Amino acid sequence: MEERILYLIRKRKQMMVPTLAVALLFYFILPVSLIFIPDVMNRPSFIYRIPWAWLYAFLQIPMTWFLCGLYHKTATKLEKQLDDINKEKSL
Amino acid sequence: MNPTYFLFLIYIIVCTLIITYWASKRSKTTNRFYIASGSLTGFQNGMAIAGDFISAASFLGIVGMVAIRGYDGFLYSIGFLVSYVVVLLLIAEPIHRLGKYSLGDVICSRFPSDKMRLIMAFCTVTISILYIIPQLVASGFLLRLLLDIDYSVSVIVIGGLMTVYVVVGGMIATSWVQIVKTVLLMSGTFLLTLIVFSHFSWNIEKLIGEVKAGTPLAEKFFLPGNLFDNPLEFLSLQLALVLGTAGLPHILIRLFTVRNTFEVRRSLISSTWIIGIFYLMTLVLGLGTVALLGYDSLMGLDPTGNLAAPLLAKEVGGDFLLAFVSAIAFTTIIAVVAGLVISATTAFSHDIFHHIIRKGKSTENEQLRAARWSALGIGVISTLFALRLETINVTFLVSMTFIVAASSIFPVLLLMIYWKRFTTVGVVTGILSGLIASLICVILGPYIMNPVDGWIKAESVFTLYNPGIITIPIGFLGAYVGTILSSKPSTTIAECNEFYLNAQSGISSRREN
Repeated sequence: MEERILYLIRKRKQMMVPTLAVALLFYFILPVSLIFIPDVMNRPSFIYRIPWAWLYAFLQIPMTWFLCGLYHKTATKLEKQLDDINKEKSL
Repeated sequence: MNPTYFLFLIYIIVCTLIITYWASKRSKTTNRFYIASGSLTGFQNGMAIAGDFISAASFLGIVGMVAIRGYDGFLYSIGFLVSYVVVLLLIAEPIHRLGKYSLGDVICSRFPSDKMRLIMAFCTVTISILYIIPQLVASGFLLRLLLDIDYSVSVIVIGGLMTVYVVVGGMIATSWVQIVKTVLLMSGTFLLTLIVFSHFSWNIEKLIGEVKAGTPLAEKFFLPGNLFDNPLEFLSLQLALVLGTAGLPHILIRLFTVRNTFEVRRSLISSTWIIGIFYLMTLVLGLGTVALLGYDSLMGLDPTGNLAAPLLAKEVGGDFLLAFVSAIAFTTIIAVVAGLVISATTAFSHDIFHHIIRKGKSTENEQLRAARWSALGIGVISTLFALRLETINVTFLVSMTFIVAASSIFPVLLLMIYWKRFTTVGVVTGILSGLIASLICVILGPYIMNPVDGWIKAESVFTLYNPGIITIPIGFLGAYVGTILSSKPSTTIAECNEFYLNAQSGISSRREN
């Protein structure tokens, strides 16, 4: 039984670690690119000619919502399986 | 004072006191007083978290910063928002499973000892009071400017109200005051955003054109580099913003006010939606201020930019809208300080009084009495400090709060949850190294050492206003070195495995402490 729990914990981590890495990487690319490639970031993008710096900053908001939502969905699924194990354990 | 302003202010005070009275009838047990018996839904808690997190600095400061500095002002808000991904993914669920009322409970779930509980309680009380003082000082100035109330009266009114909410209504009153604040704040900023857009015939390009005409930065307003010209400072601030929230006790204890981890995740997701939409609206308000008022008028009326939102409200909606926005600012302040008082109260009465002084043997009534007296004491002490600190620049206290949280509490919580080798020595060295490094960097930094307006009239030793890039690694390093150098592990392998299972799955529950 403990092995099944550990397997589910591992599954959650397999989802959590890359999600967090993507979030932090996506976030820190903004200040780093503003420091090292300001000219590129000030160029107009293909969306309504908004500068890349603005577009990238705006994208952080849906990125946060999307990653949080994605994690919630996966965690809820895994949690249901954990609940089943817990019920079996208490029987 | 203008009667419209006065009526709005009285209305807010009466409404929040009615909520507190209602909550007092439901705060008769410690479980209800400290965590509202975990009875909030995820969405309610999400609104309360947003209410706890969005301070007057966010509402008024960011609008002003966007109006004056353009793009760089908006970058502040992005860091605040992304910090919630760190909280949700790394620590939210384990903290909910391990703790009962306080961060002391969380740390004692792995290292049960009075020493560990005392250290965490000390950090919580220190961070909370450090954060209450600048909020109260800022509120004193703000209400003086907005409503023409004397500084001392403003501080006493807000300090008194926050104390009453917590003493009488505990976490239930605090949560509902925060929820009401979020509703008011979001509806007020939404209304103001619509009015701003309507002034430009719902045409964003027209708004952008007017912004360029209204600011001396012209085209450069929309380009980066108007606020952050030191790359290291910029990166350091972003690091402290993104990791700081995960160490703020008043935000973390809100994770105990829902019944399970599903609701914890829903709380945080709701708060990210509210905070994200809110910061998008503050961007529009900042742009609207420059376009409708103009940079010169704003600077003439308030060079700090903190009154940008109220001045914009007056420009587009006259005295009535200004009164409404002032009432929102007032509610914003009281909701944040009430959250900080309940956090410090729980640490003092639950951790220090109940667990350390009374060895966990005090009765429900004794605990409740201790909690109410603690809240009163913390409220009075913070208010007295705020009254005495009227003339000093308190910006460094806000900076210090985030840095101490990110450099001491966050590393210790993270390593405690995920690192099996972590020891009690590591906890002590981690917290001390983060705390001491933050103190040294701030004291020897430009906030305190400044030839123009610093406490010490000399060139600063550290050039960074936000030294997170130095202090956060020191906090982690301190915890690591302490653990490696400690002679024996603090827990057995079996205890460690049980803790790990409990933290990650909640299956072997040990929530009786």
